[in-house]
This record gives sequence, structure tokens and C-alpha cells, in this order.
Amino acid sequence: MVRTFLRLTLSACLLLTAQLSTPAQQTRMPQLKFTDRTLANGMRVLTVPDSSSPTVAIQVWYHVGSKDDPPNRSGFAHLFEHIMFKSTKNMKSEMMDRLTEDVGGFNNAFTNDDVTVYFEVVPANYLETLIWAEADRLSGLNVDDANFKSERDVVKEEFRQSVLAPPYGMAFYLLQAKSFVEHPYKRPTIGSIEDLDAASLKDVQEFHSTYYRPDNATLVVVGDFDPKQLDTWIDKYLAPIAKPSKPLPRVTVKEPPRKSETRLTEYGRNDLPAVAFTYLTSKLSDADTDALQVAEAILSAGESSRLYNSLVYTQQMAAEVIGDSGPLEDAGLFIVGAILSEGKKPEDAEKALLAEIKKLQDEPVPAAELEKAKNQLITNQLRERETSNGKALALGEAAVLLGDPARVNTDLARLQAVTAADVQRVMKTYFTDANRFVLYYLPEASKSKKEGQ
Amino acid sequence: MMRKLLFSAALSALCVLCGNAQTPQATPPPPAPPRSGKFPTPVEQTLPNGLRVIVIERHETPLITAQLLIKNGGEVDPSELAGLADMTADLLTKGTQSRDATKIAQEIESLGGSLEAGARWDSSYATVSVMSSKIQQAMEILADVVRHPTFKSEEVERLRQQNLDSFTLALGDPGSIARFVAARVVFGDSPYGHPVSGTAESLTRISATDIAKMHSRYYRPDNAILVIGGDINGKDGQALATKYFGDWQKPTTPLPAISAAMGAAAAPKTGRVVVIDKPDAGQAAVYLARTGINRKDPDYFRGIVSNSVLSGYSGRLNQEIRIKRGLSYGAGSSLDTRRDVGPFLASAQTKNESGAIVADLLLGEIGRLSSAPPADVELTPRKAVLIGGFSRNLETVGGLVGQVSSLALYGMGLDEINRYINNVQSINTADIQKFAGTRLDAKTASIIIVGNAKAFLPELQKKYPNVEVIPVTELDLNTALLRKKKETAD
Repeated sequence: MVRTFLRLTLSACLLLTAQLSTPAQQTRMPQLKFTDRTLANGMRVLTVPDSSSPTVAIQVWYHVGSKDDPPNRSGFAHLFEHIMFKSTKNMKSEMMDRLTEDVGGFNNAFTNDDVTVYFEVVPANYLETLIWAEADRLSGLNVDDANFKSERDVVKEEFRQSVLAPPYGMAFYLLQAKSFVEHPYKRPTIGSIEDLDAASLKDVQEFHSTYYRPDNATLVVVGDFDPKQLDTWIDKYLAPIAKPSKPLPRVTVKEPPRKSETRLTEYGRNDLPAVAFTYLTSKLSDADTDALQVAEAILSAGESSRLYNSLVYTQQMAAEVIGDSGPLEDAGLFIVGAILSEGKKPEDAEKALLAEIKKLQDEPVPAAELEKAKNQLITNQLRERETSNGKALALGEAAVLLGDPARVNTDLARLQAVTAADVQRVMKTYFTDANRFVLYYLPEASKSKKEGQ
Repeated sequence: MMRKLLFSAALSALCVLCGNAQTPQATPPPPAPPRSGKFPTPVEQTLPNGLRVIVIERHETPLITAQLLIKNGGEVDPSELAGLADMTADLLTKGTQSRDATKIAQEIESLGGSLEAGARWDSSYATVSVMSSKIQQAMEILADVVRHPTFKSEEVERLRQQNLDSFTLALGDPGSIARFVAARVVFGDSPYGHPVSGTAESLTRISATDIAKMHSRYYRPDNAILVIGGDINGKDGQALATKYFGDWQKPTTPLPAISAAMGAAAAPKTGRVVVIDKPDAGQAAVYLARTGINRKDPDYFRGIVSNSVLSGYSGRLNQEIRIKRGLSYGAGSSLDTRRDVGPFLASAQTKNESGAIVADLLLGEIGRLSSAPPADVELTPRKAVLIGGFSRNLETVGGLVGQVSSLALYGMGLDEINRYINNVQSINTADIQKFAGTRLDAKTASIIIVGNAKAFLPELQKKYPNVEVIPVTELDLNTALLRKKKETAD
């Protein structure tokens, strides 16, 4: 749906972790020839002219995410993202939709733990209009209480739809909430109903003035435009926005290393039990991220992956398996798990998952399997870059989260360089007993049965 | 040309919103003259064995998608074997005469590619997507799984259990329950009424013999279409098709006749109000359902534009339910056109307490489509949404192949992709009013709510004393009655 909060914050990161790209052996990986410019007010501007379709993708990345939620306001960064579509200095509520949807384009935005990203794709001749509109909502909001409350209700419905209604929504929520002790990553992006209810218009103004400033923003434009003309529009609309003198707050809390395994059993409205582990890993910009990504593909990408092959196909104990290297800016959270098949025991699934992890630690991955994982990752990246919006996402991620837009073109080489020994090493480093959190998410019905006995 | 129309519409919309602008920067700058784009033209031929081959070029990204389409799917499932077509298609990739399931997955994934198979309404498919440098190997695997599957009993059992688990998972989600129930309510016991993936009971009945029969009956070159799209030229695509499918023999038996009426005839003439009571539901799924139109209906474009007025972010349903009232994360509708009349659905998920009011709002908006049809100022942007979405869909190889496959399946001209924009633009206010009044009458629509009934039932009953309340534990998707027969007391 429109204005999605990417439910599984971890999968949001998965989408954004696309790492790119020098030509693979037989495949030409199109390079993104971008220009990189920083305005005097600190705003970074990345542009890629591409006339393959008469459209243009505009994105503004704000380096603020749910880890920056104010105290007792979990879910606020995401609620704020919704509010950015309400009244601004010169736009009425939903005018962004008039400027995009009504002319055959679209807009959306997402918030994850680390960033908030606004994007539009429009017919190319509307580019100047959208640069104006993005400048306008960066300059200031002008939201009234009725609009604020109605949008807050929408976000509460989003909470219900993503956490309460789906059978495993709460399981994913708990996986993140219980995996961190100190770091604000312990607050899932969607927040809680109580904290959303406590949020006010005053919080909105404060959050805007604290984080929505040009030196915390990156504009990415990919599509059919004349670079000189685009520069004049940027100079006209974005360059005049002043940079505040107060410093930008940054999260400095470090999640302490785990000292011993922790376990949690929870009951929900699911009919099939689920078992999942999380392991704390390196932060996104760390060199180990590439090997962890390859490990993820080996474990869980496709039906030839180890978890699928072992738990779903051969042992027939799981209906679904999960493997997600969950890279985050400050600390990665690798999830491994399974939804069990009818009548199977969570204890057995736990053993089977651990056995697959141990195999990856004990023996180097065969060359063909390593090659397969890399081919899968490369093809995924090609697919993501089919559209101008996908290209802009890859470029924005490299610039904002990896700190270097050029990595959009060089990360494929890093991925290609991952060896079997690298995979074995990261599996041994991070997948230790002491670094494991275990969640059993069992059907409510099984609880009453136990109690009845 | 089309963007000129959009251009003027956008200007008038902006004037409404920004009438009192003062500084030069207080109003958005107007758009520049439009830039134009063009869709690729598919080329096709029919092989001597009857296989229709369509190639469509798009070279921006080095990817190719090839889809082999069988012109039958879930609609030919015998009524007691719901899910047969889907299991048959799924099992294609689970073993052939020369490869077992593990080898198929390993080979295709080693290429970095994906291979998917399944059944929908009116068709079954096997689709490969790979980097263009790997297309030869991928096509060889595609042909093997379509032509030489073995349907080993061990694989049948494995898939049966997986499908049973998936069915259990679906029954934990109010939205998927509501969609299952809506199909039964609209189509009764006729073919489009069952879940295409089957029910717990039907999945248990399907045998390896049923599956092999389904395959030999429908999987034949003269009942198939091969669409290859992406970074490949027409000549190479046709050569690939001939190489891997040219010697696929056409059986001497005649093609099975396709029944003309799948659902429309059997559809109930009056609406039902059905509540599935799921006391632990975290939210209520509210659906309004009725028959829509078939794909070849002369009203097709009137239908999809009417739906666009209702659906999408700024469509009327989301305007009323989300934007004005904050009652849902999103409301929308769909007009699913098939070989025979498909369903029209309007829906939203909301907190349990708001179930009845959301049902009212959905019904009200469907009615308002004919009593207050959209004037140009509203209609033009909704047409732009359709056109924009269509154009963006054709920007990806997967989207391009999907569009062309759908046109081919229903016997539409492939050049329709280049007529689509004009067809949408030609629809006017009177067209919408007529379509809504004659084809989407809200009075014969059904209401389905899946949620914690206690929270919304009293209000719903005030308006609909005949509401049927079925506890989720008694729900039976095998029959239009939707309720398990009372077992004799033990």
C-alpha cells in the first residue's frame, strides 16, 4: 500500500543492502555514471541522467530513522514520515499526490531503523515541480491537529495490519525488540499504540527542526533530464534553505556484546509453531557484511538453499524457512528461523537449524555453491536496477549508509572477492552459542493444552 | 499527445489548491513540455506443432524472462479436487525423467536464475528469469520441466503437506479468509468459487494419477503459448523456441473443449451478508464482492477506469476511509477480468470496532459511482494513474512478459499495448455512470467481514437482520453454504 512502513524493518534493510557492481564474468552490469555535488548548506545531490524512459525518479534521503525516535515516542520517526504528506508552507494536505499520482506518477516513502526516504516517479517534464515540492516540505510543515490525529489513526491501523493481524506479525516484532538490550534498535520502527497516542503536534515541529535540515539530506535524481537545467532548479529551490547552527544529534549508544544465550517463549494466534534465532553481527559498513550476505544466500536463497533443502525438502519439518543477514548501520542482526510443518516439534527444528549453522562453520562451502550464491545476488541486483527508482535506491544507500556513492559501482567486486574461507570465518565469529537469542513462538492453543494437563 | 492532456489537468488541479499564492516560490513551477516514449512491439509465429511463440525485446538490462503458458488452470479442477491444476503445475519443477527436484533447483539457481510454476484462473505457467548470458541453459530446463515431469509419489506427498501447511497459515489471516469466502459467495459452487490452491479436504483427495491425467490432457503445444521477453532479439528468440519446443509432439486427440460459462451463470442473484467470527483477530477484514466482467467484454475499458476512480491512493475508497477518517491503512478495489466473468472486490482492513462502518462506506462509494459520477476534473487524474501504472509496468522485463502473456491468453491483439493509452483516454463521465449503474450495482453485492464479531455484529445486524454468522472453526470452503455440516452426536 501507499506510504508503506517496511514492516519487517530487517527486510527493509535487505532491500537496501543491494551492493553493486563491476561487470561479472559474462554479464555486463550497467554502471551508474553519477555526478556528486554538495551544496553550501550541506545538502548532497547525486544525479544520473538516463533517457531509457521518459520519466524521472526523485528521492530525498533523510539520515534519521526509528533509532532516533524521541524518548517515550517509539514509532515517531515513522509517524512523522506520514505527516510529511500533510500541509507545508505552500502545499495543502495530499498535494504531493496531486503532483505525482494525478499526472500518472506515484509517490511513497519508507522509514527503517536508520533512514527515512521519500520518493516520487513522474513524467520527466514534472521534475522542476517536484524539486520545488521537496524543497517546500524540507523548509517547514504547517499541520493542524485534526490532520495530525487522523494520520495517527492511520498509523495505528498500520500497526494492527502489520503486527496484530498476520499470524507471525508479533513474532517478528518481538525478534527485534528482544534482540537489543541497550541500543535503540530495541524499539521496532512501527512503535507502540501507547507511544503513538502520546505523540503531539509539538513533537512534530521539534522533530522537523532537529532532523529535517539540508545537511542531513541527500537528493538523488535518476532519469530523463538535462543536467544543466536540473542544476539551476536545485540552485533556485534547495540551495537557499539555511543550515541550522545547532549540531545534529546522533545515536552513540553501543550494543554490548552478548555474554550467553538468551531464550524466550511467547504464545500467539498462529496455528503452526515458529522457532527463530538472532545473532548480533557487524555494522553495515564493516568488511564482514559481504561475507554475511553470501552466507545468507547459501542458507536461504531459493529451493536449493541449505535451510530449504534440509528442513523443508528433506526432513519435511518446516513449512517455511527464514534467513536474513539484516545489516543495520550500527549493528547487524542476522535472523535464522523456521515456521514448522503440522505436528512437528520446535525442539527438533532448533536442532536442525543449529546443525546447518554448524556445517557452515566446520566445512568450507564448495566452489560451485559459492558461485551459485554470488550469481543469485548479482541477478537480484540487476532486477533491482531495472527501473530508475531502483537505481536511485542503490545510489542513495551507498551514499547515506555506506558513506560513499561510488560503492554503487564497486561493491560487486567486493562480493565477487568473498571466499569460502571468508564465509567460514564469519560463521565462526558471529554464530556462537553465547551470541544467540532464541525465540519460540507457539500457538496460544498449545498453552492451554499444556495447562490443562 | 496523452501527456498534453495530463498537463492541462494538473494545472487546473493546482489552481484549486494554490489560489492565494503570493511569492514566486509559493506555487509549484509548471511542467515543461512532455517527453514521449514508445512500447516495444511483440513479434510472433506459430510452430508446426501448434505452439504460439511471442518475442518482445527490451535491451536496457541484461535480463530475460521466458514464460510457458498453458491455457487452462484452476477453472478445470473437478469440484472435489480443488487445487489439482495448481499441484500439477507446482510439481513440474519437482522432478523430470533426467533431473530430480534438488538438481532442478541447483541448476537454475546456479545460473542466478529463478524458475517458478503454478496455476491461476484460466492458465498454468512455468517461468524462468535469468541473466541473458544464461538463457540457453535456462530454456533447456524450462522445456524439460514442462515436457517431461515425472510426478513421483514421494514428491506428491511432500507438496501435499506443504500445501496443507500453507492453507493452515492462510486461515490465520483475516484478509486471506475473506478472499476465500468472497469467491464462494460470488461464484457459489461453480469453478471460480473454490480456492485455486485447494482446501484441506480436496488436497487430501488428489492422487498422483489425477495429476498425471491433468498434465497429459492440458499440457500440449497446441494449448500453450511461449512468451520470451527482454535482452534478446526476435530471431534469436524464435530460434530458441524451435530448438527446445519444436519437437514437442501434438497429441492426435482433440483439444479439450473450454467451457464458456465458468461462473456468471451460477452466481447468486442477490447479495449475502456473511460474518466469519474469528475472536482472536487483530483486525477485521471487510470485503464487498460481486460479479464483474470478463476480459473480452466491450465494457473492459469502462470497467478498469471505473475501478481506478474507486481504487488507488487518491481513489474514492481510500479518500473516504483512510484519508478523511483514518479508519484503515488502505482501502481499494479490484476488477479481476477472466475468460468468463470474474469478481469485483472492494476492501479495507480496520480495527474490529469499525467493521460495520467500513462496510457502509464501501457500499456507499460503489453506489455513488453512478449517483455522483466523476467529472473531468476528477476523472482525468484517475485515468493518468492507470496509464502511468501501465507504462511503468512495461519498464521491467517481468512486467512486459506478464502483460503480453495476458493479452495472448485471452486472444486479444498484441498491439493493444500500443492502443491502451488511447482506449483509457476515450472513457468519459457518462461511460462511468453507465458502467457503474448496470455492471456494479451495489444492491446485488455481498458483504463479508472476517474479525471479532462481538465488536461489530450488533451494529451490522441493525441494517442487515439476515446476516449469516459462521464461527471460523465451522467454516467450510468446499461449499457455497460455507458451513460444516453438523456432525451426528457421538
